[in-house]
Amino acid sequence: MSAAPTAPEGSGTHEYTHLAPKFAELAELPQGDPRREAVRDALVTGHLPLAEHIATRFSHRGVAREDLVQVGTVGLINAVDRFDPARGIDFLSYAVPTIMGEVRRYFRDTAWSVRVPRRLKELHLTISAAGNELSQRLGRAPTPSEIAAHLDIPKEDVYEGLEAGQVYQSVSLDEALSAGEPGSDPLADTLGEDDAGLLGIEDHESLRPLIERLPERERTILLLRFFKNMTQTQIAERIGVSQMHVSRLLTKTLETLRTGLVEEPGKG
Amino acid sequence: MSEVGTSPVVRAHGVRAVEVKVFADAEQVPLLRSFAADIAMRLDFDLDAIEDLRMAVDEACSLLVRAAVPGSALACGFEPGEQVITVRVGVDATGPTPPSADAMGWQILTTLAQGVTERVEPAGGGHRVTIELTSGPAGIDSP
Repeated sequence: MSAAPTAPEGSGTHEYTHLAPKFAELAELPQGDPRREAVRDALVTGHLPLAEHIATRFSHRGVAREDLVQVGTVGLINAVDRFDPARGIDFLSYAVPTIMGEVRRYFRDTAWSVRVPRRLKELHLTISAAGNELSQRLGRAPTPSEIAAHLDIPKEDVYEGLEAGQVYQSVSLDEALSAGEPGSDPLADTLGEDDAGLLGIEDHESLRPLIERLPERERTILLLRFFKNMTQTQIAERIGVSQMHVSRLLTKTLETLRTGLVEEPGKG
Repeated sequence: MSEVGTSPVVRAHGVRAVEVKVFADAEQVPLLRSFAADIAMRLDFDLDAIEDLRMAVDEACSLLVRAAVPGSALACGFEPGEQVITVRVGVDATGPTPPSADAMGWQILTTLAQGVTERVEPAGGGHRVTIELTSGPAGIDSP
């Protein structure tokens, strides 16, 4: 295929070209000059779409886009601070790898909270650990076959574990289905239906004592979810635990109540 | 419209060349991204290279989908080689704007891939826009 080679990096103009003189300005201002702050702010703010764009590129992994934008912005600030206009390269070609590096590091350091089968999760963790160890030894990221040899497992298992890693973090059920569309329903609202066993819960004489017997935190969560109609995320914020934890407590509480209803009919 | 064609000839690491055709729709891009990553994995690219390819394909497809004639197809070919993969994506576009006109997207693409070329050519009264990228394990061109 005879394609025309693309323009070299840094040539031509683009939507950030107008910001370039500000880097020279920043470089000329002495350290400690109060004007530095304003110029730096303008550079960071002006390039924000860059961090947002890169965040979008990574958002398929299930981490909320807003979180990634924050991480990307940290990368952008680092890039603005470290960029040396005297080297004659375009800021974009310096900033993109810097921002990406920051986002990548975030993924490496972020823990799971995934509904992935335990076997796959452990497999992925094993592979990650082996990956880190081999990276240090080799001075580069290892290949799947190197990991397989290191762990003495079949290559297919490595493939499987790597795929599992694509879902690093579960998307919250309370997150809107179509991120960015303000009217979009949270996923949780589209799943399941009202539990018939809990309908009319307020008047349910046999349920009342069961609810009263619940630990205070579980009772609070139940009330906030079903009577105040708060989302799990809102509840999590209110009582200061993670949304995943709210989810677990709620599931457990409902189980307790259902079991109680079956086991203690007529009691109380 | 989702078609997958596989080459009868087996290339490096027992991997075959694949041609995939999907609607030029943002919803379809993850499919192509996964294809790319799976092939790179089987070519035994290192983990960074696999991730870079995944995102490069994502970026290239996104650039093209935005330019595509509504309802048209996005064609994507994966050509595996020894320590390298060539990915060619093309759409029928509404205008002759090259993908590199999007400075940010193009910068990201050229950062992620080791070689990127673009081509705009007249086709049936419209325009055919193609991006070809090559990618391989780091070491050849590590940043």
